[in-house]
Amino acid sequence: MKAVKAVDAESSRSALAERTGMAAFTRVAPARAIRWAVLVVVLVVIVLAVPVLLSTYWVQILTSVAIYSIVTLSLAVLMGRVGLVSLGQIALLAVGGWVALRLGFAFGPALPFPLLVLITGAITSVIGTLIGLPALRLSGLYLALITLMAAAAITQVLAATNFPNGGEGFLGHSSANVGNAVLARPDVMASDAGFYRVVVVVTAVMFLIAILHVNGKAGRAWAAIRQSEAAAIAAGVNVTLYKLWAFALASFMTGIAGCLLAASAGGLTTYGFPTQDSITLLAVVLMGGIYSFWGPIVSAVLLKLIPEFLKNWGLPADVLTILFGLGVLQAMTTAPAGLAVQVPKDLANLGRALTGLARKRLVRVPAPEEHAR
Amino acid sequence: MIEITGLTVHFGGVTPLDNVSMVFPAGTCGLIGPNGAGKTTFFNVLSGFVSPAAGSVRAFGTDLLSMANYRRARWGLRRTFQTEQAIEALSVFDNVAMVHEHCAARQSARRQEVLEAIAFVGLDGDPDERVGTLDARDRRLVEIARAVVGEPKVVLLDEPAAGLPEAETKHLSDMIQRIPEQRGALVILVDHDMSLVSACCQVTAVLDFGKLIASGPTADVLRNEHVMRAYLGTDDKV
Amino acid sequence: MPDLRPYLVLGLALGGVFALSGVGLVVLFRATGVLNLAYGAVGALGALIAWSLINNLGFPDWAGYVVALAFGGIATLAYGVVFGPPLAQRDPLVKAVASLGLTLILLGIMSWGWSYQAHALILPTTNWGFDLGGVRVNGTQLLGLGLGIFVTGFTAAFLRFTKVGVAMRSLANHREITAMLGVPVRRVEAAAWLGSGLLSGATGLLLSTLVGLDIVGLTFLVIASLSAALVGRLNSLTVTLVAGLAIGVVQSSLTAFLAVSSYRTVTPFVFAIVALLWFGFSQRGVRST
Repeated sequence: MKAVKAVDAESSRSALAERTGMAAFTRVAPARAIRWAVLVVVLVVIVLAVPVLLSTYWVQILTSVAIYSIVTLSLAVLMGRVGLVSLGQIALLAVGGWVALRLGFAFGPALPFPLLVLITGAITSVIGTLIGLPALRLSGLYLALITLMAAAAITQVLAATNFPNGGEGFLGHSSANVGNAVLARPDVMASDAGFYRVVVVVTAVMFLIAILHVNGKAGRAWAAIRQSEAAAIAAGVNVTLYKLWAFALASFMTGIAGCLLAASAGGLTTYGFPTQDSITLLAVVLMGGIYSFWGPIVSAVLLKLIPEFLKNWGLPADVLTILFGLGVLQAMTTAPAGLAVQVPKDLANLGRALTGLARKRLVRVPAPEEHAR
Repeated sequence: MIEITGLTVHFGGVTPLDNVSMVFPAGTCGLIGPNGAGKTTFFNVLSGFVSPAAGSVRAFGTDLLSMANYRRARWGLRRTFQTEQAIEALSVFDNVAMVHEHCAARQSARRQEVLEAIAFVGLDGDPDERVGTLDARDRRLVEIARAVVGEPKVVLLDEPAAGLPEAETKHLSDMIQRIPEQRGALVILVDHDMSLVSACCQVTAVLDFGKLIASGPTADVLRNEHVMRAYLGTDDKV
Repeated sequence: MPDLRPYLVLGLALGGVFALSGVGLVVLFRATGVLNLAYGAVGALGALIAWSLINNLGFPDWAGYVVALAFGGIATLAYGVVFGPPLAQRDPLVKAVASLGLTLILLGIMSWGWSYQAHALILPTTNWGFDLGGVRVNGTQLLGLGLGIFVTGFTAAFLRFTKVGVAMRSLANHREITAMLGVPVRRVEAAAWLGSGLLSGATGLLLSTLVGLDIVGLTFLVIASLSAALVGRLNSLTVTLVAGLAIGVVQSSLTAFLAVSSYRTVTPFVFAIVALLWFGFSQRGVRST
């Protein structure tokens, strides 16, 4: 990097543009390309190898982790990139599940699964946006409060309406019908392994959509809004529109997650979406990290995988709840970026310290010029 | 030309702007006054953060106040803030590009025009560096680059020299004087540094307690008795 | 049209308690900038502790209630003293989210110590009652309504006429200047924390009697109080009182209409959304920079 800078300083003004473009390209290309290549390889391994290596039980757990990582991703983008706090994502997950089930039972196999997923996402997006709309013009605190209230309201309504399970009427629920509220899956995803693979692919697509947003025009506008709405407006950003868009995107992704959840083993029950879970979701997202794209995966692991380990070891889940509460307090008072940024940073520091030590051992007496740099 | 007519702002018991009428003709114009005179409020009215109780603002024949606030940047109104607001999370390039992509200017020329603006303010570091890592002087320059990119019509500079050492003020002064001619915009400069104002501005208006107390060629205004009294205060004032 | 009178009575009692806790929320928010969302959880834990003391350790009833109140006050004060200063300069949103952390911790403690089964804690005032035009009104309901009205009035007077109260109002409106005037900010804030904590303890006891000692239910009844406080724009105590009563009455009355009865707990949410829409539109033209 230093060599590149030296070259820039020497060149004339008119050539600056060309040089900078070239320098940026040559510096970024190898590092980024390698990173993407590694990611793709890891993804292929996860998709193909995992269902073969693990038991059905763990495949189902990992499927759940993947689905919930879409939800944690949506919240992380909202909080980390736009600075908006939504306490209603779990409720929206339930709404997405409800919509998917209702449409699934209404249209049956006539509605292809991919289309069902998209329509569910769209409808959930509209509902989520409507909930957030009144508060988007006011301060962030009101948005958090209204989404919390919506979460509680939806939980209550859900207890009354239940999930569609093939029954009659608008609500589509029949208490006589002993069948579960489960979405029928097309043949390619009928098995646990097949479903797992489809879910991981959809999750990857969701992450891709998020990354494209964050690195594009929307991400830039959001960064401005997060730092100073006044500066954003002065730059020509329609703040209300971009906030709405962020909220719509988060609701869309959560709706899709809800559809996938409805199709997962066991289907949906009204006990699956308590108000408390919306707060727990906030906690794990804060702990996992809101600024990185690894954070949501860490968050989903905290939410869905760790409790399974605890269950296997006979420890009470309440301990985790308390730890999550402490995590929120810690995040608010110290590291807003979350564990996913802190830990790699700490590891990098550790790595640097170790390689520094190693270098000192391997090189006998460094020349004075080398040290001066 | 910018024409302000009868501009009045009420703010919970205070009147930061009281029936202010002034004209900013062309080039670089100064707006000075003691603290609390209403200068930043005036900028906030232009930016659309504050709604006036009365009055109108016509810039180059367009009624600014009827435009939604985020549309004004698109029209060509740009602004810097007292506490500089370059976006820390973004790179220098993205900071300036963001303004460009939200304004009507041709998107195909974006890269070129952004680099042009960055060169204009004299930033010669790496444009892909995050603004958060830059020092105060460079951040201020990024903010100004955001203000002059593309085809601005009006550039509002709110105390751009605040907190900068002497040497930087000279660079700033040269740059501000070049804006009307090289970027084609009318500049309104608010600052407390009188040497900066007299170097850059041909005409200056003076506010005190929300009222216009003087306006005209800068040299005359700075010698004006009322203006001096406003800044220094006299024995008669309570 | 079904007979709404019994629901009216319960609704006014509940509404009184909503107003009671709403006032606690508003005063604390104005004095410290913290919207304490753990309010309901603190009250619930206090009630559970009282329950255990009375039923498992044989404490006399009144002692249990005193402990519940004390717990509310002390726990809230402790949180305020420990987590108030590091968050003092932050956005109200950050402070509110931090209180959600406290909520989780309390929920974890409660489910660990008492599990989710229902417990019964009935204040003795329930045994006393009278007939009002054919409808039975019990003492606890009267207490709920009465306390709600009394505390609203008392707090308003306190804020206006006492030194500490005036200091609290000063903190709410002009934080930086207040510190410079020599007002003992930390002590005034502590008073606000303690006061709102005591109120949350009282709320826990009253709601346990009126709607049942259920961990989740009690914790999230804070939402109804929150809604009342929002209608009052987190500022006006009188509006909070009226809104609280209105929410209580409407929610309770909806029980009588079978078609919508199961959805009646949506009431606070509807009130809040309408209020926010109203404020959102009346705030046009003024934006903080």
